Amino acid sequence: MTVRTLDHSLPPASSARWRPVTTDTVLLTGMAIQLALTPPTLLGLLFDARLLNDISVWTKPLKFQFSMALNLLTLFILLKVLPPDDRNSRFIRLCALAVAAASTFEIVYIMLQAARGVGSHYNVGTRLEALGYQLMGVGAVTMVSGAFLIGLAIRRAAQPTGLQGTHMGAWSGLMLGSVLTLLTAGVLSAGFDGPGHWVGGVKSDAAGLPLTGWSTTGGDLRVPHFFATHLSQALPLLGLLVDRFKLRMPAVWIASGAAVGSLIVVVTFLQALSGRPLVALS
Amino acid sequence: MPFEQIFGAANAIALASWLCLIMLPRWPWLMAAIRHVIIGALAIAYAALVMIFFFRVEDGGFGSIAQVRALFMSDPVLVAGWLHYLAFDLFVGLWIAGKSAEIGLSRILQAPILLGTFMFGPLGLLMFMGCQATMLVAQRQTENAT
Repeated sequence: MTVRTLDHSLPPASSARWRPVTTDTVLLTGMAIQLALTPPTLLGLLFDARLLNDISVWTKPLKFQFSMALNLLTLFILLKVLPPDDRNSRFIRLCALAVAAASTFEIVYIMLQAARGVGSHYNVGTRLEALGYQLMGVGAVTMVSGAFLIGLAIRRAAQPTGLQGTHMGAWSGLMLGSVLTLLTAGVLSAGFDGPGHWVGGVKSDAAGLPLTGWSTTGGDLRVPHFFATHLSQALPLLGLLVDRFKLRMPAVWIASGAAVGSLIVVVTFLQALSGRPLVALS
Repeated sequence: MPFEQIFGAANAIALASWLCLIMLPRWPWLMAAIRHVIIGALAIAYAALVMIFFFRVEDGGFGSIAQVRALFMSDPVLVAGWLHYLAFDLFVGLWIAGKSAEIGLSRILQAPILLGTFMFGPLGLLMFMGCQATMLVAQRQTENAT
């Protein structure tokens, strides 16, 4: 405690202490922006009767808030394998900022369109909305590229001793997850059976699976996107387990996990493209 | 939806917070509760009302008196606007209470300033900025004299 807090004089003008903008603060505040919007979105889900594709207009914003917050939290946690100086290099900080800024833009546009009661993805109804959808594509590619480059930086860094599995899980999850997301989400955004995530089946979200909302009557391109994107959580978690239980040959474990994960993505991708649901409910 | 009830409840909560801010000691937990719980709840309610109802108002907007009037013709958006006042005024009240200690402003003199902020927002803020500016000048004078 300084003397200044004891007397009641004005502090000197330069007393403000600035916290530097670090990779950690960028990722955590980016996550906080998403989560701060969740409570009113939940109220919207409860009290707003407006529907889009036969479900609440607020379902999509809620899912995006959770997934983008999780993505930012994942990057924050995985970057802990780098020493602080490397983590705060200009390059990593720029990658983190790009992901956080793109996530913020995505949620703002998605929520703006939900508040207006219209679609965000696939909506090219007006010139402005067409531009908005295009910018969302730019934002999505930015998020994926940022995660990929962060994965690359982790790969190049020295392996922390005793954390071989975590280290390899981190970079392989980020890099493989990004590449597979780019492929699956690319097809998803273009639309395979007209605009939308459906391939055949009933073009409505009303009868979707609980939580995910995936189609139960036809193919749904969001399924492989989900499994591709969440490789960036699954592989690091596998690595963490491998290190925790000191399993031998961590590289083999991670490589096997990556193979299984990729297989799931490929199978669900082909399944969706062929117009079949992941789970058919009758 | 019961907008009248939301309006009444928000008013009561804001009034209670202002009374605490004016009358009670500045316990850190009390300040934190007003800041994060009360103002947080007002912000969430405001956000939800705006998200659900703002774009339903035909010809609503911020660009002209007619557009703003159209917004206020909608009960839920009117309540949202009122919550906006309540939340921001209370936030400014907290800021004044915090900054008052820095310039040694008596609690007796804080009371009318806070009351002015509660009733007419910027009017109370103006009074406080006057105090701040005066104390800054006085501080400089003292520093120059020594």
